[in-house]
Amino acid sequence: MRNAPFVSVYKFSARLVRRSRRSRLLGALGLLPVILAVILQITRAAAAGGGLDGLEVFSNFVMGFSLQFLVLLLSLFFGTAITADEVDNKTLTYPATRPVSKAAFILGKYASSVSFLLVLVLTSTVVSFLILMIDRLSYGTAWTFLGRSLAALGFGTICYTALFTFVGTFLRKSVLIGLVFCFGWENIVQYFPGMTQKFTIMHWLKSLLPGLGGGMGSTEGGGLTAFLLFRHEPSPAGTAVAVLLLLTAVFLALAVAVFSRKEYLFDE
Amino acid sequence: MEPIAERGYTHWEGTLGTGRRPWRVIAGQAVRLAWKRRFFKPLFFFSLLPAVVFSGGIYISERLGDFQEMLKGADKFLTINPDYFQAYYGSSFLFFMMLMIMVGGGAGLIADDLRHNALPLYFSRPLRQRDYIGGKGAALAFFLLLLTLAPGIVFLLLKLIFSGSAKILSDFPWLPFSFLAWSVFVSAFFSLFTLLLSSLGRNRRFASILILAAYFLSDVFFGIFYAIFREPAFCLVSLQRNLRQASASFLGAKPPMEVPGIYSILILAAIMAAAVLVLRRKIRGTEVIR
Amino acid sequence: MTAGGRILRADKLGKWYGNVLGLSDVSIEIGPGITGLLGPNGAGKSTFMKLITGQLRPSIGTVTIAGQPVWNNPGIFKNVGFCPEQDAFYEDTTGREFLSGLLALGGFPAAEIRERTARALAFVELQADADRLIRGYSRGMRQRLKISQALAHEPEILILDEPLNGLDPLSKRKVIRLIKEYRTEGRTVLVSSHVLPEIEALTRSIILIHQGKILAQGDIHFIRDLIDAHPHIVAVRTGRGRALAAKFVEEDDVRSVRFDEAQGTVLFETRNRDRFFERLTRLAAEEGWEIEEITSPDDNLQSVFDYLVGK
Repeated sequence: MRNAPFVSVYKFSARLVRRSRRSRLLGALGLLPVILAVILQITRAAAAGGGLDGLEVFSNFVMGFSLQFLVLLLSLFFGTAITADEVDNKTLTYPATRPVSKAAFILGKYASSVSFLLVLVLTSTVVSFLILMIDRLSYGTAWTFLGRSLAALGFGTICYTALFTFVGTFLRKSVLIGLVFCFGWENIVQYFPGMTQKFTIMHWLKSLLPGLGGGMGSTEGGGLTAFLLFRHEPSPAGTAVAVLLLLTAVFLALAVAVFSRKEYLFDE
Repeated sequence: MEPIAERGYTHWEGTLGTGRRPWRVIAGQAVRLAWKRRFFKPLFFFSLLPAVVFSGGIYISERLGDFQEMLKGADKFLTINPDYFQAYYGSSFLFFMMLMIMVGGGAGLIADDLRHNALPLYFSRPLRQRDYIGGKGAALAFFLLLLTLAPGIVFLLLKLIFSGSAKILSDFPWLPFSFLAWSVFVSAFFSLFTLLLSSLGRNRRFASILILAAYFLSDVFFGIFYAIFREPAFCLVSLQRNLRQASASFLGAKPPMEVPGIYSILILAAIMAAAVLVLRRKIRGTEVIR
Repeated sequence: MTAGGRILRADKLGKWYGNVLGLSDVSIEIGPGITGLLGPNGAGKSTFMKLITGQLRPSIGTVTIAGQPVWNNPGIFKNVGFCPEQDAFYEDTTGREFLSGLLALGGFPAAEIRERTARALAFVELQADADRLIRGYSRGMRQRLKISQALAHEPEILILDEPLNGLDPLSKRKVIRLIKEYRTEGRTVLVSSHVLPEIEALTRSIILIHQGKILAQGDIHFIRDLIDAHPHIVAVRTGRGRALAAKFVEEDDVRSVRFDEAQGTVLFETRNRDRFFERLTRLAAEEGWEIEEITSPDDNLQSVFDYLVGK
């Protein structure tokens, strides 16, 4: 059976992503939420049940770490690598001289990177949740919170990777620019008041999490999200999903457009 | 005797010239390459901004009367003592800029050599492993010392000149040695840390991400643990906090957290030792393919 | 595929890199058979190769394969195979995975991919190492793998950029034979090289490129004959070299005569090679001159190239 070009690119690229040593190292980064959860759970147990609630810890700290750092860093690396790796390693010639459209190439590689990241990030988040909530697994609202957290992380992975795929197609110093965006724009402007914070992707992702308006935190889901949702003025979740999907589509369309028109010269 | 895989250039039976310093050649080349990069020069000069500000502060401290109106209440911050210098040497901004210089000038130092298979070329010359690592590290240390030791010397000189007396040295006689020791220590740390992460792959971008990830994520972990447990000892998991604690220790200033500075120094030294061990394993003239 | 479908055509093709001229005003047509693209390093060969394989967009002019533009037209690569110059691979894959992955991008079904992969690996004698990581391959193995990925889908048009780089002499002979076999059934093969004997071993049809311009195109000997400005050199080995020289020295078309005593040859420089050979043949037949050997040292690509670039 013949595969569509997109599927062929996806399979080939997925094998490369899984095999590469860098993926294993960065995959280890993806386990940090689990390590964090284990340490926090041990210290909570040592405090004999005192201290913060498991869901509070998960929602503010594990989610905060995953959403505001881990997803950003991993998406930055894997997204920019889609084009940058092929150019740096001079292997772009091979797919470029096959009967595969440039759109299929970019989208296939994007899909393989996103698949890998989603499995990594979502699995480590679920495991962290189970570790921290081991004594409260029957608490239904907690599972709702987990579901929405996974949605936020999932959309974050998809959207940020799309953005950095686009950035990687036209900038050589894409990592530097990406870092300025992640730790400059996203981490600062998201705390600005009013409409301004809507100009960050992080705003829309946090709008998927349970929380009260005014960013004062919420008891919905059984725990406080005050730390994570500090100064957050949420938008409706449905709007957030639509915006995130639209942004993803726009970034990918731009990536395909740039990649189709740009000439990539290898360093000789 | 080193194992044969590490002996490199062994065919020549003559005598080598005296006074050879191959590491200087490697260091010089790495400095020139870093300097040629488009973003590196503005990045480096921007990093000198705090040194300029603190130098200005030393001048102002001797002319407090002239600046009375501007500095209402702020003059207590301009007492030139170890705490003043700790504010410079322990500042997050300075550490961040040093890190960015490592990313801009150092992330590819070993990664690029691995990518282009240049190590056999290096070791087909009369070059030892320590010359290679020393040379690369010296290139990074050059820029870092310009941000640490050079401003320290300038601060002391300015204080001596503007105050017209050597009181600063009689009050704090260890200060010049502290500047030197801390500058060497922090430069060695950042250099080895960068070289370690650069040696883990053949991709400069990957090394850049690792350098920044290790630095920021350790601080995030500290933030999380400290917010939950309010225990100062958690500062030992953060590279940045350890650097601050260590700098205060070296300068004889009050450390930011209630944790003995020696612990931070030991942790940073352990990271340096681990870096040396990994580099000795990774930097070889021949690559073993399994 | 029709003969027209195997034509590579460039029309007033030019490429600039900023202010640097890569290629200028190139108009050529390359049809079935083997054509050698020859030029020193920096002549524009790689730029031309990249333009005809769609990796670069022409600054001016057009380049087509089978009448279709190359830039942003991936469909043409169903029938085009390209072996790039650079030594670059997906190092974390095996040779088999590399080939089968690229064949999958070509849209072949799974069974056919397996079959073609095995055939391509056998073609370049890499079966034994097919399941090792490319990272562990020697230089020659990597070069053979590169050639195999260009041939694996049996394209009608094969473009090879410095295909013999890094090969040992035996492998070079084998690859040269493979390339010659490949041109059967009317296929088009374009081979670029800066090593003249390699091109001479492959073909007599050449394109000479220098400083971004085409100097000449056609049969080596035909081009040589066109270079009237440079006399031909004919070396004759005989026991009576001086007497033979005396026979020709008064002829108008013989410009000079030199003696190579070490080789025992006489070197004649003549403007009219055909007339010279005619007289020499008559001397040998009618007057019984003993001629041991006749060679034309400059009737080769090196000389043609040197003459054209003004050396």
